[in-house]
Amino acid sequence: MVTRSKASAVILSSFILASALSACSSNNNGGSASPSPSESAASPSASAPASESASAAPSETPAGIDTSEHVTLQFYMLGGEPKDLSAIEKKINEMSEKELNATVKFNFTTWTNWDQKYKLLLSSGQDVDLIFTADWTQYQSYAKSGAFLALEDLLPKASPTLYEFVPQDMWDAVKIDGHIYTVPATYKEYVNNGFVYREDLRKKYDLPVPKDIASFEEYLDGIKKNEPGIQPLSMNADVKGNMMDVFREINDDTVGGPLPYGIGIKYSSPNDVYSYWGSDEQINDLKVIQRWQEKGFFAKNVLNVQDTMQDPITTGKAAAMLGDNPTRYNDTKMKMQSTHPDWELGYTPFAETRGFATPVHPIHNGFAVPKNSKNAERALAFYEKMVTDKRYNQLTEYGIEGTHYTIEDGYYKMVGDATSNGFPREGMQGWAWRNPEYMLFDKSYDGVKAIFDELDKIAKPDLFTGFAEDYSSYQAERAALEQVEKQYFYPLYAGLVKNVEEGVKTAMEKANKAGLQKVQEAYKTQWLAYTSEKGIQ
Amino acid sequence: MLIRRKGIIYELIKNRVLFLMLLPVLAFFLINNYAPMVGIYYAFVRFDFNRSLFNSEFIGLENFRFLWQSGILSKLTFNTLGYNLVFIVSSNVLAIVCAVLLSEIQLKWFKKLTQSILFLPYFVSFVILSVIVYNVFNYESGFLNTTLRGFGMSEVDVYNTPWLWVILIPVFYLWKNIGYSMVIYLAAITGISDEYYEAAKIDGANIFQRARFITVPMLKSTFIVLLLFALGSIMKGQFDLFYQLIGNNGILYNTTDILDTYVYRSLKVTFDMGMASAAGLYQSIFGFVLIMVVNTIIRRINEDYALF
Repeated sequence: MVTRSKASAVILSSFILASALSACSSNNNGGSASPSPSESAASPSASAPASESASAAPSETPAGIDTSEHVTLQFYMLGGEPKDLSAIEKKINEMSEKELNATVKFNFTTWTNWDQKYKLLLSSGQDVDLIFTADWTQYQSYAKSGAFLALEDLLPKASPTLYEFVPQDMWDAVKIDGHIYTVPATYKEYVNNGFVYREDLRKKYDLPVPKDIASFEEYLDGIKKNEPGIQPLSMNADVKGNMMDVFREINDDTVGGPLPYGIGIKYSSPNDVYSYWGSDEQINDLKVIQRWQEKGFFAKNVLNVQDTMQDPITTGKAAAMLGDNPTRYNDTKMKMQSTHPDWELGYTPFAETRGFATPVHPIHNGFAVPKNSKNAERALAFYEKMVTDKRYNQLTEYGIEGTHYTIEDGYYKMVGDATSNGFPREGMQGWAWRNPEYMLFDKSYDGVKAIFDELDKIAKPDLFTGFAEDYSSYQAERAALEQVEKQYFYPLYAGLVKNVEEGVKTAMEKANKAGLQKVQEAYKTQWLAYTSEKGIQ
Repeated sequence: MLIRRKGIIYELIKNRVLFLMLLPVLAFFLINNYAPMVGIYYAFVRFDFNRSLFNSEFIGLENFRFLWQSGILSKLTFNTLGYNLVFIVSSNVLAIVCAVLLSEIQLKWFKKLTQSILFLPYFVSFVILSVIVYNVFNYESGFLNTTLRGFGMSEVDVYNTPWLWVILIPVFYLWKNIGYSMVIYLAAITGISDEYYEAAKIDGANIFQRARFITVPMLKSTFIVLLLFALGSIMKGQFDLFYQLIGNNGILYNTTDILDTYVYRSLKVTFDMGMASAAGLYQSIFGFVLIMVVNTIIRRINEDYALF
């Protein structure tokens, strides 16, 4: 028996080996025959060779592209999908079927681990024809590493109206290494932060209006003293994004978006790149945060707090946020006042102290065509409809008029409330295809517009977002630094290390061992190349 | 010897029905487990959106560099191995104890109830567990500290005390998984023939002696099989457990960071197919070597217990 089972085991394993080898070699052949592995896995119906014949194109379709074959476009957005998505999708498809001989499938990643899913969508060779891009989804890096299709030649042909619609300077601004990889949104907004605080409590205890770190601390002190049941500052586990980056924005005159690897660059001297980590500036900032922690402004176990930043404000558990952007502040205020009409929420844009605000860079909202897309032309033609065709645009931004919203005095009005409505305003996260001409605003949004109008007066260009970092030469160090930051800097950001100087020293030792210098040097070189190319002084 | 001389063809023809029945299983494993192994090659090339796998630039061990760049690979390996060893040993031993005790209970409803209660936590996700744990242990308003304050005792800052988690994490693991492994052992105990027990009873063995000399030895093979299966994935930590309970809390990393969480964190920012594959390959090779070694040792001792 034993010998017999051994013999069959040998057979079995030889089977496995043989087929593994054949699978291996067939894959190899496929790889060398076609330019990308995803192409060999393409569904036969979707591959429409452009060379086949252009004569069959129906007459009502836009000139320049071949729409003879029916295609289904895969459209990807971040976040969750609205309840009534299928009704919207059906209506859109009825139109696009006729006009472009294409149907679309709207896909959503949900907000859970969206960054992971986003990366997989782009790198696993999945069928994706249109995908959302932003600075915070690493558009610049993905574009630089070749994840998206260069659009400059396709745009005039496949979507001439869209190409005209977006101003040339915006096309220029989204260019990475001279190529257009995304279609930017043309709506101008501000996402600079500002202090958010309970105005009614401020008046009640006669506290100063938060304008800078010092007055903010006074405000928090007052809350702590007078309202023992309320946590003065809302904060969660993301102490880098919600504490440190915002703190530096108001206190250290940073150039723009959050800078990686402990780099410091000031808006006033963008060519001076220094190491913020280990600097006196950092030690002073961290000492303030450590003091806040000791005073009990936020939870001691903040690193394990999973709440959003806004929820404790709307429910009255916390009194202030270090920073939030005007639109989200307005949402928080509306949400809070829907349950507590007597509470007030105040807002001081950092711009008041810094003296300037930067409107969002065109990269901030856009749509790209991934390299793997087999229907790039049709995708662009469809996206053109989404932006420039009022029917498509309003349907995907606001839903069906009468069912999901009504228009009153030119204002958008939601039918029902946020829980009963199947398609709230911008329910598909349609930030990127907003068209200022067709946009509808809720009455409450007037508050945001007022802030924007103020900020318009002191607007300065965003210097930072056009920069595309190429980290391929220091990937290993980058990954290692991520660990060092989490392990040694996060406790400092949370104010949990008693001796700040010692803590920074240890963290710096670890960071240097992980290759901090190499990364910072490389980043500096790339940054200086960027500023000299753009002529930034 | 006779069979071997007649060769593979003879074997195939003779047992053709059996081999035919094996085909679907074989196909399943080939497609799902063996074909994707080609992807291992990603660990040795620079990932490029524009090029196929085998056309990409070969860069040797460059992708593995991030594992030791921060100089903590040995610590991570130690933590991963340590926790998993504790998990495997303690959960199996405890499961055997529980199973033996349960099997001796005669009251039917009590037995079922206990079994269900022990099994229930298995269905609680770690996300929910992390919320429960936070509400018990957080410094300001947690259940533990509120109670301690009520008794006039000093508070414990659990989330800033690394050594506590070395105990807490296995406890939560056991709480969640004990019911599941216990059921396997219960099934094995049910399979033991009553004749042994009756004979032992007649010989005058008491309940402890019966458990000690009949049940436990009869469970040995189940234990070893489960052990070997578990060892294969000893480098793959319980990611959910660690990630949900510890999350961003760097203060606890020294004692709680395992390879999976480290890799996840590192690659969350720098997503790179090559580096992710490299990390996976390191874990798999480690697990493979370990299972080969242990299996060989077991085969030396008692061939019947070895997996292969």
